[in-house]
Amino acid sequence: MQESVLSLTNVEKTYGDFKAVDKVSISIPKGSIYGFLGPNGAGKTTTIRMILEIIKPSSGELSVLGHPSALDVRNRIGYLPEEKGLYKKMKVWAIIQYFAMLKGMNKQEAKNRAWELLEKYGLKDFAEAKVEALSKGMGQKVQVLSAVAHNPELVILDEPFSGLDPVNQTVLEDLINDLSDNGQTVIFSTHVMQHAERLCDHILLIAKGRKIFDGTIGEAKATIPRRVILETNDNIDALKNIDGVNDIEPFDTDDNEVSAKQWQVQIAEQVNPQEILKTCFEQNINLNRFEFNEPSLHDVFVHLVGDEAKEAEFR
Amino acid sequence: MFKMIQLIAYREYQENVKTKGFWVTILIFPVIFIGMYFLQTALSNATPTRYYLLIDQSGQYEEAVDIAIEREHQRRVLQDFVNYLLDYRTDIDLDLTAANPSNSVNQLIDDVDADEVAALDEWLDSGGLNFALTMASPYLEEDAPPYEQPEPQFIHAELPAEVNENASPEEIISQLRPYLTGDRQITANGGAGNLFALILIPEDVDQDISRPGTMPTAPDNMTGIQYWARNLTDSRLPDAIGASINTEIREREYIQLGVNTDSVRNVQRTRMPLNQLDPAADEGEEAVSMADTFRQFAPIAFVYLMFVSLMQNVQYLLSNTIEEKSNRIIEVLLASVTADELMMGKLIGIGLAGLTTIAVWLLSFYIFIVSYDSTQTELISEILEVVLSSELIPWFVFYYFAGYALYSGVFLAIGSLCSTLKEAQALIMPMILIQIVPIAMMAFVVLDPNNTIVRALSWFPLFTPYLMLNRAAADPPMIDVVGTTMLLIVSILLVLWGSGKVFKLGVLRTGQPPKILELFRMVRAKH
Repeated sequence: MQESVLSLTNVEKTYGDFKAVDKVSISIPKGSIYGFLGPNGAGKTTTIRMILEIIKPSSGELSVLGHPSALDVRNRIGYLPEEKGLYKKMKVWAIIQYFAMLKGMNKQEAKNRAWELLEKYGLKDFAEAKVEALSKGMGQKVQVLSAVAHNPELVILDEPFSGLDPVNQTVLEDLINDLSDNGQTVIFSTHVMQHAERLCDHILLIAKGRKIFDGTIGEAKATIPRRVILETNDNIDALKNIDGVNDIEPFDTDDNEVSAKQWQVQIAEQVNPQEILKTCFEQNINLNRFEFNEPSLHDVFVHLVGDEAKEAEFR
Repeated sequence: MFKMIQLIAYREYQENVKTKGFWVTILIFPVIFIGMYFLQTALSNATPTRYYLLIDQSGQYEEAVDIAIEREHQRRVLQDFVNYLLDYRTDIDLDLTAANPSNSVNQLIDDVDADEVAALDEWLDSGGLNFALTMASPYLEEDAPPYEQPEPQFIHAELPAEVNENASPEEIISQLRPYLTGDRQITANGGAGNLFALILIPEDVDQDISRPGTMPTAPDNMTGIQYWARNLTDSRLPDAIGASINTEIREREYIQLGVNTDSVRNVQRTRMPLNQLDPAADEGEEAVSMADTFRQFAPIAFVYLMFVSLMQNVQYLLSNTIEEKSNRIIEVLLASVTADELMMGKLIGIGLAGLTTIAVWLLSFYIFIVSYDSTQTELISEILEVVLSSELIPWFVFYYFAGYALYSGVFLAIGSLCSTLKEAQALIMPMILIQIVPIAMMAFVVLDPNNTIVRALSWFPLFTPYLMLNRAAADPPMIDVVGTTMLLIVSILLVLWGSGKVFKLGVLRTGQPPKILELFRMVRAKH
C-alpha cells in the first residue's frame, strides 16, 4: 500500500444540530494531487480547517504526516485559505518572506526563496510593489507563493483557482504540477471540474458534509453508465444481442431538425463501442449519427451530487 | 514559540510605525501643545483695542476712571518689560554686590515677583518706562531688539457731536445705542471703530452708594453706575472702573472721617509672609518650591500620558485584528502559529509602538525646549525635569504595562469578534467611557489622594492603573498598594486567559458579533 500523508477516519464536525462534516474517512497517498470536490456549502473548507487543526473535529481521528495534530507538523504544511487576503501595506517579497519565516525558515533563506519564486512565476517586476497595488489575481498568486515558499511536504489550497483569469489558471496548474513533480503532496478544493480532471490523481466528492465518492478519476467516471447515442430510422433490435449491451431506449432531444429516431444504448464497462458500430454495418443499419463520449468529471459530479447541489444552492 | 511571538511582534510594530497615520498621531500632540503655547501668547497680544465712552454727569469720577485705566495699561507695560528684561539681560553674576547697579534690573524683576502692586507704584513714581529703559539699557544683550511697549487696550473715544452729555440718561442711551450695537462707528484718535462700552455715571449717583447699616435701595438695575456693553465676557474694563470708583469714594469717606489716606494706603500694603513647608522634606529644604508643586501635580501628567497612549494603542490593536480577520489572513496565521502566540505577538508589537509614541513625545518636547530657549520654556523644562526625575517613573512603567495588558486584552477580544470597525465601535464605547471616570477625577484625586471614595474606586481593576498612578505621589496606604496590585495582576491574567479563548474562536467567526450567552460559552469552551 502507498504511504499515506494524511488520513481521516470518521471525522465529524457538528455545530449544534447542524452536521457540517459527517463521518468522512479518506486516505491521501504521498506525492499525489488530490481534489476535494463538492457543491458550495458541502463541507470542503470545514474539512480543510480540521485537517489544519484551525478548528477541532467533534469526533473522529486524523493523522497528518504521521502526527495526530497538524500543529505538531505545521512547518511541513502549506495552506492557502478560501478567502484570500494579504497585509495591504507590505511589499510583495516581504510578505512571502514573512510567511516563510513563520514556517521556520531563517530570514535570508526566506528572502532568497521569495525572490526565486517571484522570478519563476513571472512576478519579479512586482516584487518591490506593495500588496495593495496588485490586481486581485496577482495578489492571489502571491498568496499561493507564500503558502508554498517553505517547501512544505503537504500543500493544501482551498479554491485556488477562483478569481483567476484563464492564463493565470494555467500558471497555477503548472505550479501544482511542479509541486507534485517535486514529490510534494497537493490537496486542493474546487467546484470547477476541469481543473480537477486535468490535475488530480485522486478526488474526494462531498455533498452536505457526507463523502459521496473517493478514488481515482477513472474510478469516478466508472460510476456513470457508458452510453452510445444512435440516430437511425432502421430497426436496431440486432444490437440487443451484443454482449455487454445493457439497455436500449429512445432518446429524446429538443433538436427539431433531427429527422430520424434517436436511441440511447447503455453499455457495460468492458465493451468497446466499436463493437456496436461494427454490428450496425453488418446488419445494414443506416446511421445518421453515432456518438460515444467518455463521461467528463462534470457528468460524474452532476450524476452523483446533482440533486444535492441544487438543494444546497437553495438552502 | 518565542521566536514566533518575536516575529509577529516585529511585524506588527513595523506595520504601525511605518504608517503615515501613526506619525501624524504622534506628532500632532506636541504640535498642538506647542501650537497652543504660541497661540495663547499671540492671542493675548492680539486683543483688539477697545474704545469706550465715559459720560460722568456727576463730574466727580472721570479722572479716577481714566487714572485706573491708565494704571491697568501701565501694569501690562511693566509685566511685558520684565519679560523683555528676562529674555535679553546680559548673564548676571549673582555674587555682585549691592553697589553694582546691575542689581537695579534684578531688583525690579524681584520686586514685581514679590508684590506687583507696590512695584507698580514704584514704577509710576520713578517715571515708568522711560526711566526703566535708561536704567536697564547698559545691561541688555548687544543684539537685543529695541523694546516695543504693548498698545493700550482701552482708549477713550470722542463723544459723537449729536449727543448732549447733559441730556437725561435715557436719551443718551437711545442716541448711543446704534454705536453700541455696531450699527454705527465711533471716532477716536482720528480713526473709527466699534464702541466697546459706555460708562454712564448719572448726576445723582452718590445717592445710590450703599453703606453697611443702611437699607439697601430697592433692586433696580438703573441705580449706580451704568456699564453698557455687548461683550459680557471681557470683565477687565468694568472691574477696573468698579475698583477705581470704589477706591475714590472710600478715600472720600476717610477724609470725611478725618483719617489720613496715606496711612490707610500704607496699612493696606502691610503684609505677613506665608511660607509653605513640606514636613517630608530634608532639614533645610522644607521650603516648598515651584518644583515641589509641579511634583505634586506630576501624576496628572502621567495619567494623561497613559490615557492618550493607551487609547492610541488599543485602537491599533483593534483595527489590525479586524483587518486580519476581514482579510482572512488570520487563517494563514493560525495554520502557522497558535492563537496564543499570535495574541502575544500582537500585544507586544503594538505595546512597543506605544512606547515609541511616548519616547517621541518626550523627545519632541526636549527638542522644543532646547531650540526655543526663553523664559516660558524654562518653565516647561522645569516641569519636564521634575517629571523625568520623578520617583513616579517606576510606578508609571508598571501601571502603563498593567493598564495596557488589561485594556488591550479586552479590546483584542472585541476585535476578534467583529468583522467591521463599525461593529467594534459599538462594543468599545463602554470601555472608553469607563476610562473617562478616572480621567475626569484626576485633578480632584491629586488634591485629596487618600479620600475614601477614591480609595474604594481604586480597587476596581479597570480604574486601578489610573487611580493608583494618580495617587502614587501621596504615599497611599500599603494595603491599597499591595491589595490593588494583586487584584490587578489577577484580573490581567483572567482577562488575557479569557480573551485568548474568545480570540481563538472569534477570529474564525463570520457575521454578527455574538450574544452575551454565546460569549460565555466561548470562554468556557475546551478549545
